[in-house]
Amino acid sequence: MIRHLIAGTKRIFGLHRPGRSLLILPDDVFLVSFPKSGNTWTRFLIANLVYPGRRASFGNLHKLIPDPQATSKRDFDRAPRPRIIKSHECFDPRYPRVIYIVRDPRDVVISQYHYHRKCRRIEDDYPLENFVVRFLAGQTCPHGSWGENVGSWMMARRNRPEFLLLRYEDLLAETCRELAKVVSFLGIDANSERLLQAIERSSPDEMRKSEKAESHRSGLTKDSRQDISFVRAAKSGGWKSSLPQPLIEQIESAWGPLMQSVGYELSCQPRAQE
Amino acid sequence: MFGQFKYAVKYALGLDRAGRHFAVFPDDTFLVSYPKSGNTWVRFLLANLIYPNETVGFANINRLLPAPGVSSKRFLRNLPRPRILKSHEPFDARFRKVIYLVRDPRDVAISEYHFDLKKRYIDQDVSLEEFVKRFIAGETSSYGSWWEHAASWIAARRGNPAFRLVRYEDLLADSVGEAGKIAEFLGIQAEQELVKTAVERSSADRMRMLEKSQAHLFSSTKDTRQDIPFVRAAKAGGWKSSLPEPLVEKIESAWGLLMVSLGYELSSQSTVEATGSGVVESLLNNAIR
Repeated sequence: MIRHLIAGTKRIFGLHRPGRSLLILPDDVFLVSFPKSGNTWTRFLIANLVYPGRRASFGNLHKLIPDPQATSKRDFDRAPRPRIIKSHECFDPRYPRVIYIVRDPRDVVISQYHYHRKCRRIEDDYPLENFVVRFLAGQTCPHGSWGENVGSWMMARRNRPEFLLLRYEDLLAETCRELAKVVSFLGIDANSERLLQAIERSSPDEMRKSEKAESHRSGLTKDSRQDISFVRAAKSGGWKSSLPQPLIEQIESAWGPLMQSVGYELSCQPRAQE
Repeated sequence: MFGQFKYAVKYALGLDRAGRHFAVFPDDTFLVSYPKSGNTWVRFLLANLIYPNETVGFANINRLLPAPGVSSKRFLRNLPRPRILKSHEPFDARFRKVIYLVRDPRDVAISEYHFDLKKRYIDQDVSLEEFVKRFIAGETSSYGSWWEHAASWIAARRGNPAFRLVRYEDLLADSVGEAGKIAEFLGIQAEQELVKTAVERSSADRMRMLEKSQAHLFSSTKDTRQDIPFVRAAKAGGWKSSLPEPLVEKIESAWGLLMVSLGYELSSQSTVEATGSGVVESLLNNAIR
């Protein structure tokens, strides 16, 4: 009851985090991905691109690209329009325009495993096999499984002009080319100099520096183990060396068609469908 | 400010409407559909199955088979578990066990048109043609377009044993058989006699009769135009006679791919919009088994 009263009072002053009750405006753009798919890096990139005067950091990211789970309603109301909003939600028909980042689930699972260690949700010796089982069942985060999150967005919105699909792997390999897609999607006026500056300011090294200095100020890293960094490998294809074959097979047999449809080659022969 | 304060008090007491923001339990089952796809009928069917000693009607359906959209959080929290809840939400990962009711969008369009007139969401002078245009764009409902709704659920949950796809048309054609299958999915022990009785008690005629006496007691019919009934034709294929050819074509060319995979035959030779990518096709190939 007391907790509810405090929450109710916070509400009156707009200090609560709006979460799913965020009032969505028709010109909002959402930056959506399943967790651990490069969302924070892309947030840095876009923040540095759109607001070159305010260098993005772990300390100010939640104000530049607000997050309904972390930014107060008051800050949302004060954000410059059009707002660019971070989200991990599965398909939501209220989102008018969406930049969706997809990442190879074989890499996502490893990244999420380390993130859970960092957040003390699992012990260091927690078996990866058990984690993969829970990952496949969508039990490792509140945003559905990778297949549910990606599949629901792909089927509902792909090939619509208000939907921009980015692959994390392409963003890594061809950062400038992919970021240029964002520029034209957002309709902003940015020359290649500004693009390169945004990329440079969002490099893994810069992000690691910012994490070191400001991890206590960010909801992404606050109160978590400081011996495991949030900015990890920043690479793709790590699964090839660190994910055991049987686990690769499990992931591919669960989501094979969906993975292929976004261009991830399967390493195992697909099992014959009954 | 006063409105906000009132809301804060309601929130503190748990009396605010749940909407999307209520606690979902892992043992919940959801009866999900796009609006105007037979959800209320199936709610009657299930309520009659589960509570054979109650007189199920519009006056008590929100209590017997609750809808988070119109119930308070406190009411939902205090329901006996496992709960069965009605929903119109597009894919929601929190819903673990789901009966997804789907209906031919050509019939949904007509049904929604009449319902929106009844609710005064649209004026009498909005033409069916104008309405269908907005229907396809997903502008007639806060739950997204028919495609977005069905596609998001099917993409996310196809082949999942806790997901049961039910076509409104099949339920109409063989009510006892389909209702029996739903009962089985819910783990309800129902003799065929009981299923038959539930089907009879949920017939369109009986629902029409109940609507006459209880319309003012039901969230969807209260304060609406009384010259348009809520329980309308209760038929499938009405679009063949009441949806003009060009509008049929529009719907089919926008959503034909998904319609065909759900078993809804296309009437026109209209070219189904090429999606340009394999994703929809490859997902749909696995969708309905």
